[in-house]
Amino acid sequence: MTSIILLSIFGILNLFMGFMRSNKVLLPGAMLLLLAVFGANLADWNVVHAPYFNNMLVVDNYTVAFTGIVVLTTIVLLPFSRSYVVAGETNLAEYYALLLFSLVGAVMMIGYNHLIMLFVGIEILSISMYVLAGSSKRDSRSNEAALKYFLMGAFATGILLFGIALLYGATGTFVLSDLAGAVAAPENASLQPMLYIGILMMIIGIGFKVSAAPFHFWTPDVYEGTPTFFTAFMSTVVKTAGFAAFLKLLAVALPGAQGFWLPTIQAMCALTLLLGNVGAAVQTSTKRMLAYSSVSHAGYLLIGLVASRGNLTGDAASGIFFYSLAYSIATIAAFGVLKLVADHRQRDDYAALNGLGKTNPLLAFSMTVAMLSLAGIPLTGGFFGKFFLLAAAAGQGYIGLVVFAVIMSMVGLYYYLRPLIAMYLRPAEEGATPVPVDGIQTATLALLALLSIVLGIVPGFLSGIL
Amino acid sequence: MQETVLPGANAPYSTLLYVLIPLLPFLGFLLNGLLNRKLSGTVAGLIGSATVLGSFLISVMLFLNFEYQYTVQLFDWISVGSLQIPFQYQIDQLSLIMLLLVTGVGFLIHVYSIGYMHHDENVGKFFSFLNLFIFSMLLLVMGANFVILFIGWEGVGLCSYLLIGFWNKNTAYNNAAKKAFIINRIGDLGFLLGIFLIYLTFDSVQYAEVFQKASTMQIGTGVITAITLLLFVGAMGKSAQLPLYTWLPDAMAGPTPVSALIHAATMVTAGIYMVLRANVLFTLAPDTLQVVAIVGAATALFAATIGLAQNDIKKVLAYSTVSQLGYMFLALGVMGYSTSLFHVLTHAFFKALMFLGAGSVIHAMSNEQDLRRMGGLRKALPITFLTFLIGCLAISGIPPFSGFFSKDEILAHAFEHNKVLWAMGLLTAFLTAFYMFRLLFLAFFGEFRGTAEQKHHLHESPASMTFPLIVLAVLAAVGGFMGAPMFTGGHHYLAEYLAPIFTYSQRLLPAAFNAEPDHNTELMLMGLSVAAGLLGIILAYVFYVVRAQRPAEEEAQRSGPESLVYHKYYIDELYNAVFTRPIMALSNGLYKFVENGIINPVVGVFGRAVNGGGTLLRYVQTGAVETYLILMVIGIVLILGLNFGRF
Repeated sequence: MTSIILLSIFGILNLFMGFMRSNKVLLPGAMLLLLAVFGANLADWNVVHAPYFNNMLVVDNYTVAFTGIVVLTTIVLLPFSRSYVVAGETNLAEYYALLLFSLVGAVMMIGYNHLIMLFVGIEILSISMYVLAGSSKRDSRSNEAALKYFLMGAFATGILLFGIALLYGATGTFVLSDLAGAVAAPENASLQPMLYIGILMMIIGIGFKVSAAPFHFWTPDVYEGTPTFFTAFMSTVVKTAGFAAFLKLLAVALPGAQGFWLPTIQAMCALTLLLGNVGAAVQTSTKRMLAYSSVSHAGYLLIGLVASRGNLTGDAASGIFFYSLAYSIATIAAFGVLKLVADHRQRDDYAALNGLGKTNPLLAFSMTVAMLSLAGIPLTGGFFGKFFLLAAAAGQGYIGLVVFAVIMSMVGLYYYLRPLIAMYLRPAEEGATPVPVDGIQTATLALLALLSIVLGIVPGFLSGIL
Repeated sequence: MQETVLPGANAPYSTLLYVLIPLLPFLGFLLNGLLNRKLSGTVAGLIGSATVLGSFLISVMLFLNFEYQYTVQLFDWISVGSLQIPFQYQIDQLSLIMLLLVTGVGFLIHVYSIGYMHHDENVGKFFSFLNLFIFSMLLLVMGANFVILFIGWEGVGLCSYLLIGFWNKNTAYNNAAKKAFIINRIGDLGFLLGIFLIYLTFDSVQYAEVFQKASTMQIGTGVITAITLLLFVGAMGKSAQLPLYTWLPDAMAGPTPVSALIHAATMVTAGIYMVLRANVLFTLAPDTLQVVAIVGAATALFAATIGLAQNDIKKVLAYSTVSQLGYMFLALGVMGYSTSLFHVLTHAFFKALMFLGAGSVIHAMSNEQDLRRMGGLRKALPITFLTFLIGCLAISGIPPFSGFFSKDEILAHAFEHNKVLWAMGLLTAFLTAFYMFRLLFLAFFGEFRGTAEQKHHLHESPASMTFPLIVLAVLAAVGGFMGAPMFTGGHHYLAEYLAPIFTYSQRLLPAAFNAEPDHNTELMLMGLSVAAGLLGIILAYVFYVVRAQRPAEEEAQRSGPESLVYHKYYIDELYNAVFTRPIMALSNGLYKFVENGIINPVVGVFGRAVNGGGTLLRYVQTGAVETYLILMVIGIVLILGLNFGRF
């Protein structure tokens, strides 16, 4: 709760800082504010709070853990907005404020205990993102991305709202815990089709937000057109919050109907893994590859939902937490490096990375760790993320799905290694100069690489916390 | 006797202190590795030496204030299902002794390397590898479970590989490095299987838990025999026992300080450390112990005979190391556990001393290693000569030098156990004295046989090299008194100190620990082994000083047995014919028919399918919102439709 209040106040504060037209203090200012939020959030760990707002919002360890991920992700993302500061972008304060406000939405999605809260959270997050997707006003691709995202998102929101309405119609409640009882022991059996259609509609609506197939088609286009800085935010914070909400919905409100929704989730999972990985394999643009890869990671996270069996704690939930963290860290590093390189070299295909190992060893190293982590190579956090999720699924007997996921991660290896080939084996273009990187970006990239490796060597300290 | 296992006992100092022991050399590794080209050689050497000295001082402090066994928990490392592996250090008598040995001897050799590697262009790289080795070795001896032991085990193997091939412009050296790595892999496989079997049997890899559970088992349990045999396979590889010893002589391709530190004093004793650590398991498996004793004795004798005919100064020392390691396993096999560690220590002193002495000779001779080109060096290299002499006396078992006490104890244990093993050990003692003094006389006595230019360059080594020689010489001379036999009025400090490590073993088999041979037998054994040593020395003196014989040149005609020994029983050729060639043929066949014929086409199909599928997807990904919306609606309809029957 403190984090929601602080984020809202700090967002407004940021707007006021914008009036002073001093871009120089904005970046460190926003980072410090977020650090304060991060600390305030951690202070709630293992503290029991009564539900807020008539049981609409709960702050428990689950909320604290996932809020921690999204806030941390935003902190390490901010340094890569330096180019805006340098270019004297006049709307910078608004961007930061929108990021903070969208974090409020994310925290509400994580901590909701009431379907209306979920909806409000999703909308706060989404509307901020529609604006940020189009923030590069003179770039037609950015405009296109914003419009596409908005149109498709509005459609999905309609579906989601439809689902919530049907659920309410069938059970007469919005509160998750009451829903659980009503779903497990329905009072009126004739309303069951309504309930089940409602469940499917909600799954579809949230599935769209986390880009699960077959509702992922917007992802590559929107990710590609959106300015890279905000793409990084979309593919980490939005996804983490989306999965936290997804897991909570299935585990708290709908465990009673597990027999019904499980096959749909399994099918979506397999399809997402297939389309995400196969789609990524044929891309030539690094950014588009990362977009498809984010679809494929939604597939791995769906395995966690399959294995969770209606539990908000335990192996699968911990696995989703760990995976989201490792994925966010690696993704921020990958997008961060890509943004720096693309800004300097004015292209974002694989060839843009050529010879980076020689011109910018640190950027290349950071990208390498990120790619290895995303591919799930041992000694990186991504390995243990995959391992925990797959182990949880295997433990529940979903062997077929696990085997399929492993095969798909082999496909993943193919496209994750391509940036490495470009960076280390291909020569840079004639006269290529080193990409300029400032101190705080260097420090952030080093920290991200270190975190990926630490998670891969000593996963123990975070692996079982839920 | 003090209570043995107190896994819950609290560490008396802050965890940071324990972390620093391996961390300091690791920092040295990072610093020297990252700043390789920016640091001057001397600075790199000082960083390398200072970090190891730091670890040594902490170890000394822990040793002096040691009161009870305890573990230090750093963090929960891996927890998956029932498998819990904390990152924990075990601080007890055994790990402390090993800590002192690794950091103490390690420090001396680091200092020596400053002088020895002075002319090399990659000093920074050298010291970073050396520090990484110390780090891995410290993990190996400090870990409180088999997994950390294994990490250290692999780490030292990697460093050994890197350092053997340190001068990587020479193909032969690279091949030696590869050989060491590959042969060690065979052993590692056994070790790894052993760890898996331990986990299956005891549901844990923590020492405290495994050994506690094991101590309630019956002697001779089949699964324990299997575990210990597998562990012993690992030890055979790392500690160069028959039949996996062939990598160690070749490992002499590395710089001489490496041979001293890794391939004589520390890493090769990791196998012994591991058996000592798991002594309960080995005590439970008398059959394995029998195998260990026989392999040890056979290796001791076998390698000693090869040592007789080698002309490369480092090769002689290498075979002598294999032979002495054989002694240590012989001691383990006859349950002389503390005796074995005793010999590890004394051997570390005198063998490191002799390797460093050989390095000093090689340094003075402008990289000449052939004994046939040396001679008369005692005048030019007085300190090297004297210290080397002490080393030779120690390894030959001449009282009161250190090797006498430990070797005598091994032979006494062997005598109680099995007279044949004892006889093999005694014969080895005689051969050892002979070939070591052959080396000494050839190198330091007689006329100089090198080129005039080499003669011109002859010089005693700098202080950074002679200082470690002197310290090690003192240790090699008096180190034996930490384990003087009881009846001589001495006090076996080491055995008493180590006793708690063997509590479980002692409970299982009290007889093996309490047996005390009568003094007359012991005196007789002692006399015999000293006589064997003296005989060897006298024979060497007669051959190489009185008659001034010189080893034949490479191309000379040799009689059958002589040729057999000179060519190391053709073991390398045998392995080549029996293992390497058939495996190469098999690989080539697999490559031709399976790889190219089956796997590649199949994988190709898979790759084309992924690519083709991706290209198909591109047609769907039109970029038009209406297409996407239609696809979404199709998706929704499909989901609702497929679930229709279940509403």
